[in-house]
Amino acid sequence: MADITFDGVTKIFADQIRAVDELSLHVADGEFMVLVGPSGCGKTTALRMLAGLEDITSGTLSIGGAVVNNVLPKDRDVAMVFQNYALYPHMTVAQNMGFALKIRGHSKSEVATKVHEAATILRLTDYLDRRPKALSGGQRQRVAMGRAIVRSPQAFLMDEPLSNLDAQLRVEMRLEIARIQRLLGVATVYVTHDQIEAMTMGDRVAVMRGGKLQQVATPQDLYDHPDNDFVAGFVGSPPMNLLRAELESAGDGLRVVLGAQHLEVPASYLSSHDLPNAEGPGVVLGIRPEDVEVLSGDAMGTLTTRVERREALGAEILVHLSLVEAKDTTTFVVNDEGTLVVRPSTLVAKMGPRAGVAVGDQLNVRFNVEHLHFFDATSGMSLRKRFQ
Amino acid sequence: MATISVNAPKARRLTLKRRRQLAGVVFALPAIALVICFIGIPIGQDVYYSFTQWDGQTATWIGVSTWSQAFHNPNLWTALRNNGLLLLSVPFALGLPLCIAVLLHQRVAGWRIFRTIYFLPTAISWVVLGLVAERFFAYQGTLNSIIHALGFSHFSTNLLGYQSEALFALGITFIFTMIGTNTMLFLTGLATLDPSLEEAARIDGAGRWRIFRNITLPHLSRFIQLAFVMTVIALFSALFSLIFVMTGGGPGYATTTVEYLIYQTGFNQGDFGTAALYGLILFVITGIVGIVQLRLIGSNE
Amino acid sequence: MGPVKKPRRLGRWVLFVIMMFVAVIMLYPFWVMIYTSLKSEGQFLAGSGFSWVSWSSLSSVIPIGQEVLSSTIVCASSILLILIVGLPAGFAFSKLRFRMSTGIFLVMVSAMMVPLQAILMTEYVNVSRLHLTGGYTAAVLVYASLGTPFSVFLFSTYFRGVPDELIEAGIVDGLGYFGVLWRLVVPIALPAIATVTVLQFIQIWDDLLVGLFFIQNTSDRPITVGLAVLAAGRTTSIPELMAGSIISALPAMLVYVGFQRYLVKGLTMGIDR
Repeated sequence: MADITFDGVTKIFADQIRAVDELSLHVADGEFMVLVGPSGCGKTTALRMLAGLEDITSGTLSIGGAVVNNVLPKDRDVAMVFQNYALYPHMTVAQNMGFALKIRGHSKSEVATKVHEAATILRLTDYLDRRPKALSGGQRQRVAMGRAIVRSPQAFLMDEPLSNLDAQLRVEMRLEIARIQRLLGVATVYVTHDQIEAMTMGDRVAVMRGGKLQQVATPQDLYDHPDNDFVAGFVGSPPMNLLRAELESAGDGLRVVLGAQHLEVPASYLSSHDLPNAEGPGVVLGIRPEDVEVLSGDAMGTLTTRVERREALGAEILVHLSLVEAKDTTTFVVNDEGTLVVRPSTLVAKMGPRAGVAVGDQLNVRFNVEHLHFFDATSGMSLRKRFQ
Repeated sequence: MATISVNAPKARRLTLKRRRQLAGVVFALPAIALVICFIGIPIGQDVYYSFTQWDGQTATWIGVSTWSQAFHNPNLWTALRNNGLLLLSVPFALGLPLCIAVLLHQRVAGWRIFRTIYFLPTAISWVVLGLVAERFFAYQGTLNSIIHALGFSHFSTNLLGYQSEALFALGITFIFTMIGTNTMLFLTGLATLDPSLEEAARIDGAGRWRIFRNITLPHLSRFIQLAFVMTVIALFSALFSLIFVMTGGGPGYATTTVEYLIYQTGFNQGDFGTAALYGLILFVITGIVGIVQLRLIGSNE
Repeated sequence: MGPVKKPRRLGRWVLFVIMMFVAVIMLYPFWVMIYTSLKSEGQFLAGSGFSWVSWSSLSSVIPIGQEVLSSTIVCASSILLILIVGLPAGFAFSKLRFRMSTGIFLVMVSAMMVPLQAILMTEYVNVSRLHLTGGYTAAVLVYASLGTPFSVFLFSTYFRGVPDELIEAGIVDGLGYFGVLWRLVVPIALPAIATVTVLQFIQIWDDLLVGLFFIQNTSDRPITVGLAVLAAGRTTSIPELMAGSIISALPAMLVYVGFQRYLVKGLTMGIDR
């Protein structure tokens, strides 16, 4: 039973690439920590350093209080589940699972007992004598997990274990893995690029980008209070709308300029956020699709929009809206495969499944002013005031 | 280990990478040592001994006179010429198996049996094949009997008695011996070709020949390369057995190749120094052919 | 199965005939050997007849049993050495990158191209000086060194296809690199091992030169040398020679037929990355 601490851990590859940049992260004993981010963000490298498969360039890595920078994988007492399962093809399921114990000198009966225990938890008892190639993808994945469980390690490391499964199986296995982890109570570091997995499985989620840790918090915290525009746009599907806009004075307060239209900034935000003044560089305004309300009639504080596209998902309809008379000048911050770019785009809103909307319709929408997010136009950092 | 700080001296860092590199060196060492000892060093010695008068026991340095003598020796040039002429058989030793492999690939009934049959002669020692070939091409041999039987009496040959014909017979035999291995190699190559590539081309309207040229052949290029290398190596080494048994290098020196010359010079004439030089020459020729092949058929390293 | 072909019956029949024709040509040596061996010398010279006598008198002309045994020992030992030396090296060059490993690998692979004759003399002298000419030792070492470059090439290409994850799983489970090699890599390398074994077996069993030069004791002679000596002799009976040739050819053929499946699989893995 152990906790994990990354302290300023950096990894620089031979070609000067900084795969992981000063990562400081603590995983408590028994905690399920998810590392999430677009490909190339350094999450897998961080995991591999934890396993001992990559050297650490600088910084300290500790497991259970002991510094393990120079400790070989086999001495770290961690178990890993690989993306492609990496099952030993010439061994049976039972042999695969018992392998690590066998080579550490455990007795045959001990090995058999532990394998049986793990097989029961994972419902693999009927497959113990099969070879990997006779198993389905989901079964192989469970064997990979079984191999890790049997070792009763200090930590579980999982490298995108679900990415090779079909959608339905993935949903099933998400629950399985979470259940087993809670049962065993071992610190787990789980790497994925899928933010849904991150949100549903993690006790806490660490978002990474370009080797740097962006934010680590509980899933709900991440969703409600993102620390920067990247995290804001990464967590949640469909992603948060991030509008790039100028501010101008409006009486004692400010309002956001959206083409020919405006949005008043409620007074509460003026005190809770460090907003730039009217002549300043502007802001990035964030509003989640579910917080964009489509109204039937005209009312105060609404924006006039035009439906550009609609996507019927069955349970809801997503409408992609452009601001009237400002279609080409309203810019959004869009996540283009891990890079944030600014370009004209559309506002996404959710509507009920039977709402009668068509492309070209004009709709009035109102933003839920309780859930506005403001980010710095240059750095992307949240403009929330932090209290010590 | 818990007390070792990050600033431990590099020499003591037992990281996985170090371990891996150490294992790599240790694992590769026996093979490297074996090859150096039994292949590398002898080549180097060839260079040394080629400058000496050597009877196998004592070597007296005589400088470049071995070289000049050798290059003035008409037999060497004959041998080189013979090697060169025999190289002409290589396209056939590749082309024929290619055709056969393509035919086999069509999966005619019983193709598996045919495949086994075609490879079987490979199992026969070159010595034996040489004996059979000798009897086939001899003056009183089978070929002439067939010719007689077909009524072309005045075409009867004395293939092994005439200089150029003997070389020709040798070439034919060589091609025969290489058919088995090369066919197997090309067949394997064809088997790894993705059929959907062929189908896509067919849908696009490509005819059979075009498919062969633009899809099959490029895919096979690596196999053709390997076959080329193996064939040439065989030409410069295994051919010895054929020559030994079929013609003894003759008539005269008509079928003496460099590798046979080495044997003759060294063991029959006891002139090891010159033999070493010839060995070196053989090595250089093989190397040149190898490099040419890399440029011509394309490289894969 | 094979590529889809329009059902042109005539075409397939023509193909079949061609294949038969080629098969006849390829089987010709066997036919000659069998036909000739089933005669006595007198019958052979006369051109016709049938007799088993050449087969029965064979063992009195050359110690065929002994020679087959010698060939077997030399083959087995050489192949064993090649595998022992080649498997770790193949693994090292493909998965255990170390300084200059690519360069060394290229040099080793190019050693494939060295013909035996180029180094024969010096090799022989070296071996005599080291007093290795007794018994099989020298021959086995020479065969092994000649076969190692190709085997290392084949193994390393094959191992390149093994996923890195598999090796890492072994390491995280607690194996050292030797354990990974022995317990994980070698068990899945069986097709490659079979390929190397078959190809080297045929090459070594049928080889003449190395046996001729590096095995001094006549009692240790392999069969190819025995046959060559017989062939060079003045009083040789051709039928006997052919009978001996058939016996010599059998083991290689059996090994090939037995390992055929693996050969194709191994060659495929070896070439096609």
